[in-house]
Amino acid sequence: MGKIIGIDLGTTNSAVAVMEGGNPKVIHSAEGRNVIPSVVDPISHIVGDVAKHQLVLKPKTTIFSIKRLMGRKYTDESVQFDSKWLPYTIKSGRDGMADVEVGGRTLTPQEISAMILQKIKADAEAYLGSKVTQAVITVPAYFDDSQRQATKQAGEIAGLEVLRIINEPTAAALAYGLDKKNAHTIAVYDLGGGTFDISTLELGEGVYEVKSTNGDTHLGGDDFDKAIIDYIAEEFKKENGVDLSKDPQALQRLRESAEKAKIELSSATEAQINQPFITQGSSGPLHLTMSLSRSKLEQIVDELIQKTLKPVEIALKDAGIKVSDINEIVMVGGMTRMPKIVETVTKFFGKEPNKSVNPDEVVAVGAAIQGGVLGGEVKDVLLLDVTPLTLGIETLGGVSTPLIDKNTTIPTSKSQVFSTAADNQTQVEINVLQGERPMAADNKSLGRFILDGIPPAPRGVPQVEVAFDIDANGILNVKASDKATGKEQSIKITGSTGLSKEEVEKMTKEAEVHAEEDKAKKESVEVRNQADAMIFTAEKTLKDNEGKIEEGLKKEIEEKTKALKDILSTGSKEDLEVKTKDRAS
Amino acid sequence: MKKHDEKFDKKEKDLENALRRALADYQNLEKRIAEEKSSWVRSANKDLILRLLPGLDSLLLAEKHTDDEGVKVSIDHFLDIFRKEGVEKIETIGREFNPNLMEAISTREGEEGIVLEEIKVGYMLKGEVIRPAQVVVGKETN
Repeated sequence: MGKIIGIDLGTTNSAVAVMEGGNPKVIHSAEGRNVIPSVVDPISHIVGDVAKHQLVLKPKTTIFSIKRLMGRKYTDESVQFDSKWLPYTIKSGRDGMADVEVGGRTLTPQEISAMILQKIKADAEAYLGSKVTQAVITVPAYFDDSQRQATKQAGEIAGLEVLRIINEPTAAALAYGLDKKNAHTIAVYDLGGGTFDISTLELGEGVYEVKSTNGDTHLGGDDFDKAIIDYIAEEFKKENGVDLSKDPQALQRLRESAEKAKIELSSATEAQINQPFITQGSSGPLHLTMSLSRSKLEQIVDELIQKTLKPVEIALKDAGIKVSDINEIVMVGGMTRMPKIVETVTKFFGKEPNKSVNPDEVVAVGAAIQGGVLGGEVKDVLLLDVTPLTLGIETLGGVSTPLIDKNTTIPTSKSQVFSTAADNQTQVEINVLQGERPMAADNKSLGRFILDGIPPAPRGVPQVEVAFDIDANGILNVKASDKATGKEQSIKITGSTGLSKEEVEKMTKEAEVHAEEDKAKKESVEVRNQADAMIFTAEKTLKDNEGKIEEGLKKEIEEKTKALKDILSTGSKEDLEVKTKDRAS
Repeated sequence: MKKHDEKFDKKEKDLENALRRALADYQNLEKRIAEEKSSWVRSANKDLILRLLPGLDSLLLAEKHTDDEGVKVSIDHFLDIFRKEGVEKIETIGREFNPNLMEAISTREGEEGIVLEEIKVGYMLKGEVIRPAQVVVGKETN
């Protein structure tokens, strides 16, 4: 059986993902991008970026925003509105449905969408190296039965068996695994290239129910770009008296600059706009050079951002829920990367939204997960566990030395070679620790054992290998062996991952809270260990070279060593650092 | 007893399938990583070149507005370095518009479908389009 792909068939862009090894993976297009522009030239069968390149040249035969017509009657208010601004011809077809006329041919929106899906299918097959015949496709929550049917038909025309049509907000929630959390009421804020959707979902028994949906079908990233372009053009006009928006070539460069600045300002606080020779003035060429600050950008687009809040309020009211009832908020669409939008949403809901999954991909990812569930992959896949906390052993000075870091996928094994801390030490105690704190005493001791029979030798010489091995059931085996004699000792710990969720959370939180003081404590021990090693080497050197060292120097070294020794157990970290340095000179 | 066996048979089959699937995923991943590694080297160059191109664009624009020989020499130098890295300019003017290589920015009266003017130079890296050329295309007015 082939893989089931998850498709986000969008108004402006589409995306596709698939489950691999139990994890969703976004498939890049043949052009190497994670999204495909939903643009089609049905005459020459060109889809995506390439079709977009000729939009200006063939406005009547290059179809975009076809999703706006899917499953709608020609007489629909929205179709009538869209037909005024869409450059291609829309007409009434069979049963009064909206069709498009391209180069003398009448095509249904299903057929146009099918071409996008065909390209997606081909890209997915190229990526997977095998045939793809089944898919899950997402639609807006407000799509009615006719629109859903049309979407399903588009899939069938493209040669895909559509196993399920799911709602975009549901897919987004799935991508965050919200069905497994105790989130009951979810809001999905989706600001795409050309549309804004807000949905509230109620989760019960693993089923998402869309409680309400609202939005603005003509508000999106494109409007933000336009606002920025207008601002730059206006500023340029003020300064140079030339209107760039009248010059298509200058406008194109302006558009690129505006988009680049918008993206840059999501991470930087200032963006440079540099377009030399943008146009010809009365006294020679003119250059567009200006800097745009994030706060200025936020001012420019503030009205647009505020415009999204009204639909949010209505959606909540329609669902009969209060802002405080929302357990989780999910962000969808590239525009939600804008810090101001995150801030506005956070302020409105009084809590931070989920935004860790790429907002351009989150819907496709959710669709792929749904596909995985339907294909039995998500359930069947051996869920590999991870170690919830770091595992290690106690070393000199009560320091916790990690061997297996937290969140390591198990089964796994790891080993490290240690040595003795004192001369002629014949045994070492292995104290197995679990936790994130740097000091052994603050972590949980899972068990301890002694490896003895180490042949007497100066400290640092014996080699003791400590090996940790966790099997698939979370059982930890710790083995210590002396490399010289081959003598070994081990312990089996069954409770290494058997902590309750609360315990893990508590320990992780504690580690965060104490991070600073722990660091200081550990550093102090390290400095002490360093001082100790220094004293040891100094004394050893003096002893080994007895009689060969000049008396004055010997005395000086002895004094400094003594001074360091005196404060070794009592001195502060700073004192020790000073004395150690002094001793070293 | 029989029922018991059936249950185990099914479980065994399920597990075998799951294992096969995991192994297949793993093998495919290995293959893909090998492919991606080689394409990585290429795309790392690609990203850097794409970031350098706007600088060259400015030089090319400056060339249009000046007779300074120095600018021309600088551009040639730049292009020569790019050529050695496998970057080739996309030829456009006088050719038929090709959406795979070019992006139409506007149209003007002229021979239908033929590129009349190049606004931004497009480039290929080892045969792959890294940036389409931006062009003005002819349109016959009737």
